[in-house]
Amino acid sequence: MEYIILSAILMGIGIYGLLSKRHLLKVLISIELIAVAASMNFVTLSAQANKALGETLLILAFSTDTCVTAIVLATMIYISRKYGTSDLTKLAELEEKGEASKS
Amino acid sequence: MIIELIAFGLILTACLAIQLDEAVYAVFSLACFFLCTVLLYAFNGADFAAIFTFAMGAGTISLLLLAGGILSDKPEGSKPLRSLLTAVLAAVVLTVPAILLSAGIIIPRFSFNLPFEHTLWGLRAMDILLQGLVMLSVAIGIAIILHEKHGGEKA
Repeated sequence: MEYIILSAILMGIGIYGLLSKRHLLKVLISIELIAVAASMNFVTLSAQANKALGETLLILAFSTDTCVTAIVLATMIYISRKYGTSDLTKLAELEEKGEASKS
Repeated sequence: MIIELIAFGLILTACLAIQLDEAVYAVFSLACFFLCTVLLYAFNGADFAAIFTFAMGAGTISLLLLAGGILSDKPEGSKPLRSLLTAVLAAVVLTVPAILLSAGIIIPRFSFNLPFEHTLWGLRAMDILLQGLVMLSVAIGIAIILHEKHGGEKA
């Protein structure tokens, strides 16, 4: 199996979700897909070469990614409770209205 | 054959995680995606990566389920069957190049005698540095947000 093609397809799906979806949680899921697709390359190629470096890099990158995911989720919940919406388009409209009222 | 099925499962669950309107269903699809990733790593002999991905995936999915319950709202005029069929069709189409371009037969490997602990120990400095950079950037981001909020309240 050509894992590079598989990870490229998964990354394409993640990028499509990142560009097309407006819900905050869908954006975060798309970012997770991209991260897993990128790390899959390291693990599968290093496993085929019978080396452990790819697994090590996965552990380093994934632990950092999980911490960032937790903080981003907390920020999303705060934004959703404060503004009453999880839609990026509506949040942008609210921001424009806020700037217009200030000016 | 098993690897091709896992690849199809990966692409299908990724498409469903993006396409499903309900946030909780999308998170469940992401959980299945992590499971398929674990199986893929296990069949390639990357046992440590499989176990670590399973542990981290469980934590991530639990957080996302909680957030999905809080953030989800009923989409207006949703057509769940249509989006589901679209996702399945897209997954089938995307799996074709991944399977057709596969080369060779996968021989299961067993990760004995891999110097994993030596590699992990050798890279501990980079691990600490990267985690420090992440914490620093998050702290700077929070400080900026609080500063803007404080400046907005003053105005």
